[in-house]
Amino acid sequence: MASVTVTPDEWQYVAFDSARIAAVAEKLLGETGLDVDLKIEVDETTPLGRVSMTSLQPLVVAVESGAFEDAKRPRQLSEVAVADVLGRLLHRCRDRLDPAFGEPPPDAALTLQQSTAWDAYAVGRCARLGYPVQRQRRLYHFRNRHGFNDVADQAFARLWEAQGLTWADLEAVCQETDAARSASVG
Amino acid sequence: MRKLFPPDLLARDGRFTRVNNADRFNDPRGARGVAGGRPGKKGNNRLTPDLPEAPDAARTLMHGIFVGEIQALEGAGRTCWDFETGKGSDEAPFELKLDMARQCWDEARHCEISVKLSDWMGTELGEFGESAFLYEAACNPDPVLRLTGVNRALEGLAIDVFTTMKDFGDIAGDPVLEFCEDWMLADEVTHVKMGSDWLRRLTADDPERRANALEFQRVVDKLFSFGGLRGETDENPIKLARRFRELAGFTDVEIDDISNVSEEATREAAATGARG
Repeated sequence: MASVTVTPDEWQYVAFDSARIAAVAEKLLGETGLDVDLKIEVDETTPLGRVSMTSLQPLVVAVESGAFEDAKRPRQLSEVAVADVLGRLLHRCRDRLDPAFGEPPPDAALTLQQSTAWDAYAVGRCARLGYPVQRQRRLYHFRNRHGFNDVADQAFARLWEAQGLTWADLEAVCQETDAARSASVG
Repeated sequence: MRKLFPPDLLARDGRFTRVNNADRFNDPRGARGVAGGRPGKKGNNRLTPDLPEAPDAARTLMHGIFVGEIQALEGAGRTCWDFETGKGSDEAPFELKLDMARQCWDEARHCEISVKLSDWMGTELGEFGESAFLYEAACNPDPVLRLTGVNRALEGLAIDVFTTMKDFGDIAGDPVLEFCEDWMLADEVTHVKMGSDWLRRLTADDPERRANALEFQRVVDKLFSFGGLRGETDENPIKLARRFRELAGFTDVEIDDISNVSEEATREAAATGARG
């Protein structure tokens, strides 16, 4: 059975609870069908909210404490935020581990358009698992990267509802919205 | 109806959560983190659409502006009511109250714009904690200090934020954000100008009162430069909008002073991080 490790175990700067973070992560691992061990390394010394997958095998996720924080209560843990962050990330990990998905570039090499398209696909799946995701927020992210136009909105709607996409499908969406942006500039 | 209404009794529905200023400013992580920021980030932190976290940073910032608009409405309304009408030091002239009433009208419109902008950006009302700092600055028993603390310091900061976010909308190709910011920016310039004009009129014969008011403005300006939020270098997420501040009645010397206060706050934040 997959195990989850959260570091640090004791918190100095924030009032987080490692067991609560691990419980959310374990549930998500089961729901996304990932049978891998997961290590979550939280940097509690910063209120910023950047998240990255630093290793795929073994699966290691680095999180700045702002990402897990309750936006209404500074330094307090939000399980909704934990599920929001890890749900998106674990769906992307699952895609990476699925040979049928194809071979996306490493995260650091993704363009903002590619990353946001993949996020829309990932978070749409979180929504169907019953998590309280913010569709309009994700649409706003998508529009910022793919354009404020009908082509981008329609592409987002398709990604949000999709299942079984491949990396080539995501790249095709990026090419489609890029063409629409180029046409509007011209 | 009571005078000098306390901040903790402001009417809010269940969506809103108040964030204590002491908790906010005493967060041991600081604004940038114990280490003073991410390696490699130093040098360019301007809030522009090309940053990976830019859309969420913009949402957070605009929610802060939204609750600021609510409090600016409440504060300007209180200034119409809290003081007897007159020209004494503990009174407010009728014409000042008229300006504050006009500001209430603007702020109410800004609240409506901000609600619609929140929908557009995917932000839920009350999604982020609300600090009541702006309203607290509007509770000063001297109306001139309200004008420097709120109209010149905080509405001045709004000029900087709206200018930065208008540019953000322009670069991102977001017409809704760009127009919302542009319309609100025009009003903010007027509000800051009101503060500048009334400061000079009400303290024309009272240099000590003027000095106190400007010192209060400096304190507020410094608090809101917390962690180097606003300044003139690319290291500051929000750019000091010199041209619009000139239009709002700031002299070059006053703008330089705000710039220096911001630099001081940036250095202190970095030093706090280094000590951590």
